[in-house]
Amino acid sequence: MMRWSWSPRSRRRLCVAAVIGASLAAPPLAFAQEAAAWLGRAAQAARTLNYTGTMVYHHSGDVETSRLIHLYEGGQEYEKLTSLDGPAREVIRSKDEVRCYFPDAKIVRIDPRTFRNAFPALTVEQQQTLSRYYEFKRMKGERVAGLTAEVVRFEPKDGMRYGHMFWSEAASGLLLKARLLTEKGDVVEQFAFTDINLNAKIDREMVKPSWSAAPPDWQIKHGAATEVVRHDTGWSASKLPPGFMKIMEGYRTLRDKRYPVAHLVFSDGLVAVSVFIEPLSTTPVETGSSQQGGLNVYSTKTSEYLVTVLGEAPPATVRQIAQSVGKR
Amino acid sequence: MNEDISRLMDGELDDAALGRVVEATRTSPHADSAPQALATWVTYHAIGDSLRGARAVLPGFSARFARALASEPTVLAPAPRRAGFAQPGTWAWGIAATLAAVTVVGWTAFAMLDTPPATVAKVREAVSVRAAQVKPPAKVPADYLLAHHEYSPATAIQSVGTYLRAVVTQESEPRP
Repeated sequence: MMRWSWSPRSRRRLCVAAVIGASLAAPPLAFAQEAAAWLGRAAQAARTLNYTGTMVYHHSGDVETSRLIHLYEGGQEYEKLTSLDGPAREVIRSKDEVRCYFPDAKIVRIDPRTFRNAFPALTVEQQQTLSRYYEFKRMKGERVAGLTAEVVRFEPKDGMRYGHMFWSEAASGLLLKARLLTEKGDVVEQFAFTDINLNAKIDREMVKPSWSAAPPDWQIKHGAATEVVRHDTGWSASKLPPGFMKIMEGYRTLRDKRYPVAHLVFSDGLVAVSVFIEPLSTTPVETGSSQQGGLNVYSTKTSEYLVTVLGEAPPATVRQIAQSVGKR
Repeated sequence: MNEDISRLMDGELDDAALGRVVEATRTSPHADSAPQALATWVTYHAIGDSLRGARAVLPGFSARFARALASEPTVLAPAPRRAGFAQPGTWAWGIAATLAAVTVVGWTAFAMLDTPPATVAKVREAVSVRAAQVKPPAKVPADYLLAHHEYSPATAIQSVGTYLRAVVTQESEPRP
């Protein structure tokens, strides 16, 4: 009979073996769900929490500091971002528009807000893409802005994407710091709160623009007149990195453009790459690559069209996509 | 190929093209000459260094160095043996290896840098093409940046912070 009774030691061994076995046998979907759940929680926190804080943005050797106020009221988000150094700038994101104020240049830009939170709605397919092309790792916790943060890493499995590191506030899931990394581990850009108040009492007054109406000598620039009109544009990119799927296709009417611009968006579940195609105008345009923080841009032209591709992906990836754009 | 090498130096080459360039640096059209792609790679770097103000090696350096090295007297006197000193066999091999390395580097630099004027002209042209490519193209329209951020999943977790990228471009907007 003794043969069938387990000693505590062997029971422990069995448990360890079972855990190891389970983790090895776990389908990739479990990791995908974990990554997606993490992203969903961060997105939910970013949308529904009320907070004020100071954010430092590092990019291409530059550092910029901004004040950020976020209010969630009646199911709506209101945000105010004020630059503290460099040229004065203010961004106000409210229910249905985004206003950018440039007091030095006496310009205010008004764009419609169409953004819908993407992460809570990741499809199973997108979740699997995430785990196929990124390794999701939980790292040792750290402190950011005086708070305890969970650290996670999305490490790309190929050279076609950037790596991502995120620090989220342990209790709420709110993102405190985000870092974009090259394959070699160099930092491309970083957003980080240096201080944040998660229990701030915020009212609508605090998220109003500093200028209630644009002064008479300011120039008002209206951005896209309409939301994007979803439509089959007939365009496609034949050399997309694996895992990138089309999430949007349509036409946009943009300021200063005589014709609607075709806009296609491809995403691997974590980042997006936008493709813009417009008829070539008579004014000469410069083509080639450029960088805007973590965004790489590549534009190229054919005899009739100007193709501009931009996204949070390495220069070679953006360029490869741009050069593969053609009529279906 | 030259354009691909220039892109490789800028980290803009995709994987497929990278394979072709690496292969080209290994293969040479003539058995007695260094691969052209490798020569271009070295020359681009030499030109890049000089453009950045790094001290460039003067043309003909490798030939002069080789002559100077050849005229150096060879010391054949055995070194006195000291306790703890390595066996002569070991350090002799070390010196031989160093000399061999110098010769190889010298030969390579000779082959790369003392190139015929036609090649130099071609390289200059390629470098100016590259300079044009590297020059920041027309400012990315803010419309594009804002439109992109509306769909980027990153915006969902980073909130309005990502708009910083868009408003950075507006800095140089002319005052009316």
